[in-house]
Amino acid sequence: MDAEAAKELGKLLGAGLSMGLGAVGPGVGLGIMIGKALESIARQPEVAGDVRTNMFIGIGVTEAVALYAFVVALILIFVA
Amino acid sequence: MKHTWRWIIGLLVLGFLIALAIIPGGKEMEFEVAAEFEREVLITLPTIGPFDLSVTKTVAYLWVALAVIVVLTIVVARSLKVQPGRFQYAMETIYELARDGIVGSVMKSGKKQWFPFIGGVFVFILVNNLIGLLPLPFGEHHQPAFYAATANLNVTLMLALFTFAFTHYAGVRKNGVVHYMKAWAPPGAPPVLKQMIWFIHLISEFFRLISLSVRLFANMVAGHAILAVFFAMALIFQSYLVGLALQGASVLIYMFELFVAFIQAFIFAILSAVYIGGALDQDH
Repeated sequence: MDAEAAKELGKLLGAGLSMGLGAVGPGVGLGIMIGKALESIARQPEVAGDVRTNMFIGIGVTEAVALYAFVVALILIFVA
Repeated sequence: MKHTWRWIIGLLVLGFLIALAIIPGGKEMEFEVAAEFEREVLITLPTIGPFDLSVTKTVAYLWVALAVIVVLTIVVARSLKVQPGRFQYAMETIYELARDGIVGSVMKSGKKQWFPFIGGVFVFILVNNLIGLLPLPFGEHHQPAFYAATANLNVTLMLALFTFAFTHYAGVRKNGVVHYMKAWAPPGAPPVLKQMIWFIHLISEFFRLISLSVRLFANMVAGHAILAVFFAMALIFQSYLVGLALQGASVLIYMFELFVAFIQAFIFAILSAVYIGGALDQDH
């Protein structure tokens, strides 16, 4: 395998791995967080509005981690 | 009798699907996802210093969003009624969501002062995201194409810079520079640890800028890339059957993107409100 092909392989492999592994953590985190929020809404339906607002803030913050992985994958494919 | 009809319809659908699978697809076409995000220059203007004043696709989309917002708000403000119609009700829902759902639920003081900025950011991002889901004739050779102004890091970074500047402006104006900066570290901590915490907080302030802008940008880019792949995969597979299945799936993705467009505008606005509210009422 020549150097150019090896470089291309490394780029694509790195991009795929960064997106795939980078999505694991936020996925687990989102699952736990939304599950807990639903649990607390089911327990106390009167605070559903507050819980939902805070849940969306948490979703935004957690989801960003997966999107950093996406940006890294894009940089690997198109820029690096 | 009823069952016979079911059998006939089932066989017809099956035959249709088999026919779709047998018929070869249309002519082969090249497809490049990245082409959607290229910034084509529509009107070339001179460069003054470091600023290129040319009108690109992104600028055109921002103007379209601006025009939509201005027209919508003028129309709804001209025809306010006590008994709201459907259109006025929809606009009032957005206004109430921004006032009570975003500003009212996370800010303690300065609600009235900061509502115009946060509500404005919410509506601006929402309209920009939704316009990104309409095909507009800004593509290659003026073909209808998908693009969103918020799928450009320059636009989202500018919006995040506004939030960043307003956060510190609000904090400094209410608490004074020294008091505002002092409150970044907890008062009870030992001296060396306190300096370290203060420094970490300083870094986190700049990371807010990155996370706010990159979140919106990456969400829109990822959504549009997935939509483009689903719309165009039929061209690659050369089969009407795959095309039919993918068009069905792309409708679902499109509806999910509508949800994402709304949720991202909501999250950007609510995080802006959280940051500005945190600078106004420092709890430690």
